[in-house]
Amino acid sequence: MGGGVGDGVVGNEFADVAVRVDTTANSPRLRLEDLRTGRVRFLDALELETLVWLPEGHLVQLLDPSADRWSGA
Amino acid sequence: MTHADTRARYDELVQPERVHGSLYTSPEVFADELARIWYSTWVYVGHVSEVAKPNDYVRKAIGPQDVIMSRSADGEVHLLLNRCAHRGNLVCEAAAGNSSSFRCAYHGWTYRNSGELVGYPFHQGYGGRGKLDLGLGRVPRVAVHQGFVFGSFAPDGPSLAEHLGDAAGEIDRLVRLSPEGEIELTAGWLQHRARANWKLLAENETDGYHPQFVHASIFSVAESGIGALYGEKSSAVTRAFGHGHSENDLRPEFRRLGAPLGWFGTTEERMPGYVAAMRAAHGEAAQEILVEGAPHVMIFPNLFIAEIQMFTIQPLAHDVTVQHVTAVQLKGAPEMNRRMLQQCVGSVGPAGLLLADDTEMYERNQVGLGELRPEWVDVRRGSHREHVDERGHTVGGATDETAMRGFWAHYRELMTR
Ligand code: FES
Ligand SMILES: [Fe+2]
Repeated sequence: MGGGVGDGVVGNEFADVAVRVDTTANSPRLRLEDLRTGRVRFLDALELETLVWLPEGHLVQLLDPSADRWSGA
Repeated sequence: MTHADTRARYDELVQPERVHGSLYTSPEVFADELARIWYSTWVYVGHVSEVAKPNDYVRKAIGPQDVIMSRSADGEVHLLLNRCAHRGNLVCEAAAGNSSSFRCAYHGWTYRNSGELVGYPFHQGYGGRGKLDLGLGRVPRVAVHQGFVFGSFAPDGPSLAEHLGDAAGEIDRLVRLSPEGEIELTAGWLQHRARANWKLLAENETDGYHPQFVHASIFSVAESGIGALYGEKSSAVTRAFGHGHSENDLRPEFRRLGAPLGWFGTTEERMPGYVAAMRAAHGEAAQEILVEGAPHVMIFPNLFIAEIQMFTIQPLAHDVTVQHVTAVQLKGAPEMNRRMLQQCVGSVGPAGLLLADDTEMYERNQVGLGELRPEWVDVRRGSHREHVDERGHTVGGATDETAMRGFWAHYRELMTR
């Protein structure tokens, strides 16, 4: 498939995520790859728009390490 | 009229060797057909390859009903009705897309792509969040055979396997032409609108009597041997599978000729990669598969597989039908796929000859059927020379109306239930 114009890596000392617009499905999606674990997530336009509108507080809730990824459940 | 009255009427209008012309021209009959056939029996909707990725969706139809075929993130395929549970707006407008959720354009109600309501704006108006238990409508039963997705509005009744019966084997025969055992419907769809009743199309698909007349020009231009398959001397047969399904079984002729890919108008030498892949996948059996070729089968009421292309018949009114067409693509067979696409465009594309010929006949037929006399349509051809094969199916000659009689027998059963 190869890279597109918008490809890149968003990285810092805490995380590295490869970002790419994927066009293999019925409409474009954002493909996110956690480069440290290889885990991939696709986000469609409606999900992205939701993220844009997420209030800061909700985002912080999601960042709580025990919210989902390390919930201990 | 009461249900009993109309039952008696269809009993009278559909007879073993003739059917009444009004069955094609009456809006009341069409309304009865929607209820008793299209919203009761199994109807082909789409193919899993059209929603290949998680969260893919496409808009499909069951007759005039607008159906969203979606694949949720867990991989399951859903058939949802394209109607917001709030005030009925269309939820999806695009022909295809990829989204985990659908948001209605009217008041923003949002649904998972599996149909559940996620939420609605300004929730206080409903007494808070999560107060409503409303979702998208769904086709009550969904079943898949070899990637072909069928839906039924009847919550119970015969299973898809029971409905398909031995016609399922013809779908299997198409799929095994792929070295990987899968087909893909990814070539895109053409839509042809005909001013004709849907049954004229369904009947014509396995009518072996018309090709030599209607398609004479394309057969001669293409120097094709197809015409001869549909003649009095042909060893090909027409078979009624029951449940309204039928086929033109051309295998006896292809076996007689014994040439791999002869059914496709080409040779082993011109498709070396494909033939090698098929022999690797199927071993000894490959020879027979390559000689016998693809099926020519009409699956009641709306799926027609014509060797290298596939049609779905969508009725919109008693005299309006849309024929959706795509080229079959065999997974793992790029050489074949290119040629299938070219042949499909040449025969049933916008400037193709085959479908234009047929459509001309459907439309002339519809006009003629509107005339008052004589009232009946004759479908007796070959009834004196039919036999029943070892699987219990009625078989007639290549040019006989055996398929039509099978169609009408099932029609009558559904319409008089
Ligand atoms: S009709 Fe869909 S949100 Fe109102
Ligand atoms: Fe035809």
